[in-house]
Amino acid sequence: MHNKVRFWLIALEVALTLAIIVNCVGMVLDLRAELLRPTGFDEENLLFVRTEPFGTQYEDETFRNTRQDQDLARLRSMPGAVDAVALSSVPLSGGGSGTSREAEGSDISTTVPYFVVTEGALGAIGTRLVAGRDFIAIDFEVEANEEGFIPRRNIIVSKKLAEKMFPNGDALGKTIGDGAGNVEDTIVGIVDPLQNFWLSSPVGETTMLQPGRPGDRSSMLYLVRTEAGSRSAVASGLEEVLLAEQNERIVTIQPLPEVKDGFYRDNRALVQILLWVTVLMVLVTSLGIVGLTSFSVTERTRQIGTRRALGATKGDILRYFLLENWLITGCGLALGALLAVALNYTLLQAAGAAKLDFRLLIAGMFLLWGTGVVAALAPALRATAVSPEIATRTV
Amino acid sequence: MLLYQFRMAFLSLKRNPFLSALLIGGVALGIAVSVSFLNIHQLLAQNPIPEISDRLFYVQIDAWSPNSAFDSDNPEEPPDQLTYRDARGLMESDIPTYKSAMFKSLMTLHPEREDVRPFRVMTRLCFADFFPMFDIPFRWGSGWSRSADAGPDRVVVLSYETNVRLFGDVDTVGRSVRVEEDDYRVVGVMEPWEPSPKFYDVLNGAFQGAEGMFMPFDFTEPLEINTSGNTSGWGFTTGVGFRELRLESEYTWIQMWVQLDDADQRDRYLTFLNAYTEGQKALGRMERPFNNRLRNVEEWLDVREVVPAHATTMAILSVLFLVVCAFNLIGILLGKFLARAPEVGVRRALGASRRSVFAQHLVECQTIGLLGCFLGLLLSLVLLRGIDRLFGSEGSTLSLEMVAVGFLLAVAAAFVAGVYPAWRICRIPPATHLKLQ
Repeated sequence: MHNKVRFWLIALEVALTLAIIVNCVGMVLDLRAELLRPTGFDEENLLFVRTEPFGTQYEDETFRNTRQDQDLARLRSMPGAVDAVALSSVPLSGGGSGTSREAEGSDISTTVPYFVVTEGALGAIGTRLVAGRDFIAIDFEVEANEEGFIPRRNIIVSKKLAEKMFPNGDALGKTIGDGAGNVEDTIVGIVDPLQNFWLSSPVGETTMLQPGRPGDRSSMLYLVRTEAGSRSAVASGLEEVLLAEQNERIVTIQPLPEVKDGFYRDNRALVQILLWVTVLMVLVTSLGIVGLTSFSVTERTRQIGTRRALGATKGDILRYFLLENWLITGCGLALGALLAVALNYTLLQAAGAAKLDFRLLIAGMFLLWGTGVVAALAPALRATAVSPEIATRTV
Repeated sequence: MLLYQFRMAFLSLKRNPFLSALLIGGVALGIAVSVSFLNIHQLLAQNPIPEISDRLFYVQIDAWSPNSAFDSDNPEEPPDQLTYRDARGLMESDIPTYKSAMFKSLMTLHPEREDVRPFRVMTRLCFADFFPMFDIPFRWGSGWSRSADAGPDRVVVLSYETNVRLFGDVDTVGRSVRVEEDDYRVVGVMEPWEPSPKFYDVLNGAFQGAEGMFMPFDFTEPLEINTSGNTSGWGFTTGVGFRELRLESEYTWIQMWVQLDDADQRDRYLTFLNAYTEGQKALGRMERPFNNRLRNVEEWLDVREVVPAHATTMAILSVLFLVVCAFNLIGILLGKFLARAPEVGVRRALGASRRSVFAQHLVECQTIGLLGCFLGLLLSLVLLRGIDRLFGSEGSTLSLEMVAVGFLLAVAAAFVAGVYPAWRICRIPPATHLKLQ
């Protein structure tokens, strides 16, 4: 090797690049996976309608319940609407309630995010029932006791929650309660998948559905499922329809895709930035390789001429420069693999990162090796064009 | 001499414009990326209220379940908020210079104009001290007086934006505004005020904007105002009324800040907190060990890990990116300089000292560094716009500090990258290259 320093410069550059891009792409894959998780909601056809009353009459529970029933009937009758239910929070919004629950026969408490829903929720959401049954009318006819709470309810849970609380797979028919015996809910159905309103995994997927009357005097939320393609048409008429029913309230409408966009905005932004950084890194490094190979060719022009004059073929010259390139990137990649592990460890400690996937590391090595060859090719081909007579010229 | 060297450097750069563009562009790219992400990290991690942050304290006491810690991952941490009754109890102390319990809630505003429909605005319920404690700038009027707290008087403070939405860009102090079912008097309109991070409430979105309206805390009970922020509870709360669930329960949903100006005041307040806890223990509450905390703004932001992890990751990666760019620079400079060996040989033979050859090449590197820095800073303005658009934030500006950091990084990178190539070229023995001429 002609110039040791130059050799190690490229090798180090390749090494650093490998370390960085493998970590970047690892994070991208992690973020993408989170983004692409199925939500269980019929996303394209769902609208969330929040009504926030300002009249005092909403303090009366009977008035509220009648209002809710009438609103739901009106929403269902809108052209283009398939179904409508009331529920307690908007999924993928970041805001909602969780409650502490223990599985029957266990004393490990788990935070369980939940939706309170009215009848017909599974159909309106669009998720799949994988075991048990949907809610039926009787599930909603539960009464609060004299202390003001409902001690026994039939509930539906997501498969992820069922598996978390009953790892043996026998969740159906079992109860989960508050641990003190005040509340014990029986699992009558299991759906899969069903995300809730929290981003982090796995708690964002361990969801409980409670039959009941969601909403209070300050806010009520409806979920409207529309026929395919008529989401915006239904949305445009909604406010007017509800205000015509009762106008002492503020109506806001949000399609689920919009909610989801907001929810994953940072996630998407980060994916783009990381991909840009990766592309730029590879670009900068390949420019570096082009530059250095070029100089190495220029510097050795006479030497190449001499070798050609002594009978080396163009192929020999090409092979010589490519081999040199492989050797350099090879050393760089070996070093880079170690660096990638070290950087991953540092990032995991100091901030956030995805755990290093070794398949990704291998893929990154192939990518950079290929990039190295492509980058070295043009200068190396230039070297083959050096004519043998050059060796004799300046002597 | 330096001027001459700079002129030589420019001549050398002009000789091969493509290569020079590559060199300068490489530095610019490295500077732009690293400065942008360092700048974003700095914006997220900055102290939002530097003048008084070390005198403002977030109050925490451990009223959580005797059986389990509030946060099972950090069992030594007390709950992040207070129960309503504890907030009430702590507001009794006269030790702090300023003190305010607070929470946020959505309220409906009814504009006077018939053609504007009522709208909801995020409202902070707080005490009179909130405004002087956080040094809040007012456009018109001021906060309400302490005596208004006790009433509570029907007074509100509006943010500038809410005022514009309700009335337009006019002084509305003394005018009345309908909130929910009642009329309130506007006593002050704030200047646009958006502390970032929103240090006084990092529990409900540390980078959300400030509230649009402020009203006296003591309306909570008569109006039964519920929080729009987080509530955490333990055990089983019976009852359904507002009083049972919110005011008398063990639900934690109130935040509290106090201003303590010196160590003595702080000690006295801690003694008060401990005495209060002791009193509650005697009543059969707070069975957990003493765990009262007073944290100033920076400590509190630190504990809550307000800076998103990905911002730190990106800052680290972006600096490494600059390192790779510097490596690139070394390689290309080495080639460029060595290709010039014959010329340097002649200069050396004509009497140029090693030192002057070395200096000449370092100056050339610095020229590249400075040009790259300038271009990179311009590029980072564009990058920041792009990043703002991606994250849906706005107005991320390049701070003067970051311009300085960018300059230093460029100079350092150009120096580190230039030393070896310059050293190599100044060691050229004149004779070997003269022979070839």
